[in-house]
Amino acid sequence: MATVNGYQGNTPVAAPAGTAASKQPVNAAKIVDTQSVLKRLQSELMALMMSGDSGISAFPEEDNIFCWKGTIQGSKDTVFEGTEYKLSLSFPNDYPFKPPKVKFETGCFHPNVDVYGNICLDILQDKWSSAYDVRTILISIQSLLGEPNISSPLNSQAAQLWSNQEEYRKMVEKLYKPGSA
Amino acid sequence: MVSDSITNAPIPSAPNSRDFSKKKRANRSAKLKQCKLDARREQWLSQGAVKSKGCKEEGNCARKERNRSLENPRRRDEDNNNNNNGSIHHESDSESPSNSPTNSLLGGGSGSDSGTNFIGSSSSSSSSISSSSSGGCCSGSISEEEEEDGCLDDWEAVADALAADDDNNKSEPEHENSYSQSPSESQLSMQSDSMPELTDGIGLDSVNSMTESAGMVPRMSGNNTRAWRPDDAYRPQSLPNLAKQRSFPVTNRHFGHGGVPWACNNVLTAPSSCPICYEDLDLTDSSFLPCLCGFRLCLFCHKRILEEDGRCPGCRKPYEHDQVESEASVQGSSLTFRLARSCSMVARS
Repeated sequence: MATVNGYQGNTPVAAPAGTAASKQPVNAAKIVDTQSVLKRLQSELMALMMSGDSGISAFPEEDNIFCWKGTIQGSKDTVFEGTEYKLSLSFPNDYPFKPPKVKFETGCFHPNVDVYGNICLDILQDKWSSAYDVRTILISIQSLLGEPNISSPLNSQAAQLWSNQEEYRKMVEKLYKPGSA
Repeated sequence: MVSDSITNAPIPSAPNSRDFSKKKRANRSAKLKQCKLDARREQWLSQGAVKSKGCKEEGNCARKERNRSLENPRRRDEDNNNNNNGSIHHESDSESPSNSPTNSLLGGGSGSDSGTNFIGSSSSSSSSISSSSSGGCCSGSISEEEEEDGCLDDWEAVADALAADDDNNKSEPEHENSYSQSPSESQLSMQSDSMPELTDGIGLDSVNSMTESAGMVPRMSGNNTRAWRPDDAYRPQSLPNLAKQRSFPVTNRHFGHGGVPWACNNVLTAPSSCPICYEDLDLTDSSFLPCLCGFRLCLFCHKRILEEDGRCPGCRKPYEHDQVESEASVQGSSLTFRLARSCSMVARS
């Protein structure tokens, strides 16, 4: 039963024709789940748009509400001030009981972000709670930019340079490519 | 200005203006004006006694106008000297001492418009003839307020027609004006110089206070022959306010949306919807307190979490079933209290 908890391209998988009778209850439960996830994501989108938080935004991709594009602006008085980063969020079918997969689409020179954009953030892994939502995720990542966890870096060069904020700022500006996606 | 008042004021004489009316306007309007004058005179004569009581609220307005009307007799004398064959109507109008305030009030708008206003209301209903003729000063005609909605269409139509008529006969409004109003007022004679911009500024105080206190429908300038706009400063307050009605659901919606982030953030007070699946909490869910941290969620999501990692989303501690259930039964009173609060939240949002 790879389809029950599996990660099938973020889209609800239609029950294949000729499914055995024993599998039908599972598929029915899955459809109900998908509907509740849809409701949750739609409500989150509404709340996010109404909240008016500064410096963060997110919106679903055109045809798939399970894939969102988010943006985070570097907080004021940090080395990331004036920069803006695109992120992709892909929600599993059992969201919010499992965390979404969040990646930086824009290159980010940060101790906890690797060269592929993967983020090392506890709430996106073992510290995830179903009470978190897109808004809290984006706010957490935004604050992570200014307060990295140096002890377990994905980017060791960034972690070493963090102590020298002036040099770090220069490196951020040098590597910042807003157009890259 | 003096020369204006002299040139304008002497013109009115009943036969003359009648001739004008016959030539350039339908007989009907002249008769209406005649009716109006008669009715107004009767009204004022009969209200001479009542008036002293009635003026309490709009004392400022009326007193101001009276001061102005006190100046009028002198001018009137001058005018009469210049124009010794002043019309009967003219004399009778200005002789009744209580008439001047009304005239100056009505004169707040340009002359042709106050005439329009009067005709409109009188044509809409016979009973408003007396009320509108006196309403300018003190009687505070209640019937006028009640009828405003109903008569607005007729009144508008007549006003538009008359305005068009006035456009055709540019010279006539002045004569009409000085005929129907007390002609010797300095204010009025100045206004009749075809200066609609000025009339707005001059008549603003008196007309405004008149609108508020007496509920009259004043006409401000000859250019404005349309109905009241919702944002019109001179709009009578008795007219229904559509903006207020429209704003009501907006605030409702605001509260409705405000409830969503609130339900997420504030987990200690009972939310109206499950913070996990965003479905509304029913009574069973609202009374369900699975964790000591106070984080509430619906039974379905709770069951789902128990099947997987079994930790409370609010505090990340594992759910302890036995303890929580006994806790819930012990805290019966506080549960009902929270239940009531959650109910009130639902009702409010």
